[in-house]
Amino acid sequence: MSVTVVPGTGAARRLLRNIGFVVGATIVGVTLIVAILAPWITPYDPFAVDLVHRLVPPSFMEDGTPANFLGTDQLGRDYLSRLIYGARISMIIGIATVITSGIIGTTLGILGGFYGGRMDDVVMFLITARLSIPVVLVALAVAGLLGSSFILVILVLGLLLWDRFAVVARSTTMQIRTLDYVSAAWCAGSSQASVLLREILPNIATHLAVVATLEMALAILLEAALSFLGLGVPAPLPSWGLMIAEAKEYMFFTPWVILVPGIALFVLVLGVNLLGDALRDLLGTDLNR
Amino acid sequence: MSDIPAIEVRGLRRVFDVRQGLFAKPRQVVAVDDVSFSVPAGSVLGIVGESGCGKTTLARMILGLLPPSSGDVLIDGQRLGDLDRRARARLIQPVFQDPFSSLNPRRRVRDIVAMPLVAQGNIAGDEVKRRVGEALERVGLSAEQGSRYPSQLSGGQRQRVAIARALVLRPRIVVCDEPTSALDVSVQAQILNLLAELRKDLGLTYLFISHNLAVVEHVASEVAVMYLGRIVERNESEALFAHPQHPYTRALLDSVLTPEPGLGVPDVGLGDTMPDPANIPPGCRFHPRCPLAFERCSHETPKLTPNEAGFVECLLAEE
Repeated sequence: MSVTVVPGTGAARRLLRNIGFVVGATIVGVTLIVAILAPWITPYDPFAVDLVHRLVPPSFMEDGTPANFLGTDQLGRDYLSRLIYGARISMIIGIATVITSGIIGTTLGILGGFYGGRMDDVVMFLITARLSIPVVLVALAVAGLLGSSFILVILVLGLLLWDRFAVVARSTTMQIRTLDYVSAAWCAGSSQASVLLREILPNIATHLAVVATLEMALAILLEAALSFLGLGVPAPLPSWGLMIAEAKEYMFFTPWVILVPGIALFVLVLGVNLLGDALRDLLGTDLNR
Repeated sequence: MSDIPAIEVRGLRRVFDVRQGLFAKPRQVVAVDDVSFSVPAGSVLGIVGESGCGKTTLARMILGLLPPSSGDVLIDGQRLGDLDRRARARLIQPVFQDPFSSLNPRRRVRDIVAMPLVAQGNIAGDEVKRRVGEALERVGLSAEQGSRYPSQLSGGQRQRVAIARALVLRPRIVVCDEPTSALDVSVQAQILNLLAELRKDLGLTYLFISHNLAVVEHVASEVAVMYLGRIVERNESEALFAHPQHPYTRALLDSVLTPEPGLGVPDVGLGDTMPDPANIPPGCRFHPRCPLAFERCSHETPKLTPNEAGFVECLLAEE
C-alpha cells in the first residue's frame, strides 16, 4: 500500500517535525545561499595569489591571523573564499547533473514502463548497457581526448547517472498504469500525452524526488573524486576535490588544508542524504537499493 | 427509444498468454469465450458470476480498454474500434469497483470530474466549470468538496466523484464494474439508489457487473450468469431469480447467506475445486462441479439455447 501525501499543511508540518529533514534542508539551503551569494560574501578574490602569506593557518589556530579566517593555501589564496566558490561548483554540478540525468532517465523509464513490450526491452538494454560503463573510465577518456573542463564534467555525469531514475520511473510507471484511475482517464477520452503527464508523472514524482537527492549526493562526490584525480574541474577553479588534491602534499605538516574542504564535502553530502532519507520516510517511498 | 441496442457484443473472445517462467511454454488462459448478447437502450443488464469468471475482462473490452482476441463490440450500432477516443467517451463511461484506486490522488475532485470535458478539447473553461458544478450537485456533493483531494473524502463520497466523472459528458451507457463491493454496507444502498435515480432521470443504459446477487436483483432488468468465460444463462431478472434453469445459477442463488445465524455457510454441492480458466474441461465446462451432471456432459458441449423465456446453456434444458 503506497502512502500518498496530500499537498497541504499536514505534510508540511510532518516535514518540519522530522529532524533529518530539518538538518538536511538547513545544510543544503545554507550551501545553496552561500553558493549563490559567493561574489558578495567572499572576503577576498579566490584566485588572488599572495606568495608572501602562504599556508597561513586559520585564525583560530596558533599563528593564525584574523585577516584569513580559514587561512591560506600553498599559493597564499584565501581558503574561505576558495571554499565558498567551491560550494558554487559543487551545487552547480549537483543540480545540473540531476536535471540532465533526471530528464533522460525519467523519459526512458516512463516510456519503457508505460508501453512495455519492445520499447521496454530497448529501455532495459540501455539501462544494462549504462550500468556496465564505469563512470571514471569514461571521464578519463573524455579528459584525455578533449581536455578537462567544467562543462565536460557536467555532461559526463549528467549523461551517465540516469540509470537509477530510469529504473525507478520504469517500475513505478508499471505499477500505476494498471490502476483504475489510468483506465478512467482512457475512458474519458484523454490522449496518451495527457495520461502520461497528468496521471502518471505526478504520481511517480515523489519517488523521483528521492532518487534526485541520491543522485545529487553521488554527483557531488564523483565530481570531487574526478577533480582529485585531475579528470574533472581544471585548476585554478576552486573545486573541493581539487583543493583536497592540491593540499595532499602538505597534509603531514598542515593537516587543516585537507580537513577544511574534506569536512565541507562531508557535511554537504550528509545534508543531501539526510534530506533524501527524510523525503523517503515521509513520502512512504521504499527504494531498495 | 430506438431499436438499435445500446451495447451489442458478437462472439467476443479474449485469450491471455500467461508466462510461467523463462523456458516454460506460455499457457493460454481463455478469460472470455465466445460471448454474445445485446443490451437494449434504457435497460440494465446485470452480469453475475464468481471471481475469475471473466466479468471484468468483458467489461474492459466493452469499454475499449482491452482489445478482444476476436469478435466485435458495437456501441450504439457503431463498432467500438471505429470510434475515436472522444466519440467513445461521449457514448460510454465506466464506474470502477475501488474508489480508492479509481481517482488520481494528486488531482482535486473538480479536476477529476472535469477530465472527460477537458479531453473533448472544444469545451470552454466557463462551460467546463458550470457542468462540473452541475455533475457534483447531481451526485450529492457540495462545491466545497470539489476543491478537496480524494484522500480527504470517504469511500462513499469517492464513489460519488467517480459517478460524477462518468456522467459529466452525459453518456448513453455506463459500465459499472462492481460499483459497491468495495464500500461499507451502509453506503452501498445510497450508491445503488443514486445509480438507479440517475438512470431514470437521464435515460441511461447500464451494464452492471457484480458478484452480489441481491444487488443485481435490485437494479437489473435482465441478468446474465457467467461461468468460466461463457454466459451460461440469461433471462429477465424476475424470471431468473424465480426460476433459475442452469444448475450453476441455482447453486449461486442457494449460496446466498441467510440471516439465520445457526445455519452457517450453505452447502450448495459445488465441491471445493475452483475452476481454472487455463484448463477448461471438455464438454460442458461446468460438469466437474455440477450436481446434476450425467454421462453426456463430459463430452458434449451444450449451446446457449433459447427456451420459454431466456437462454440456458445446459444439456438438461435442451431436451
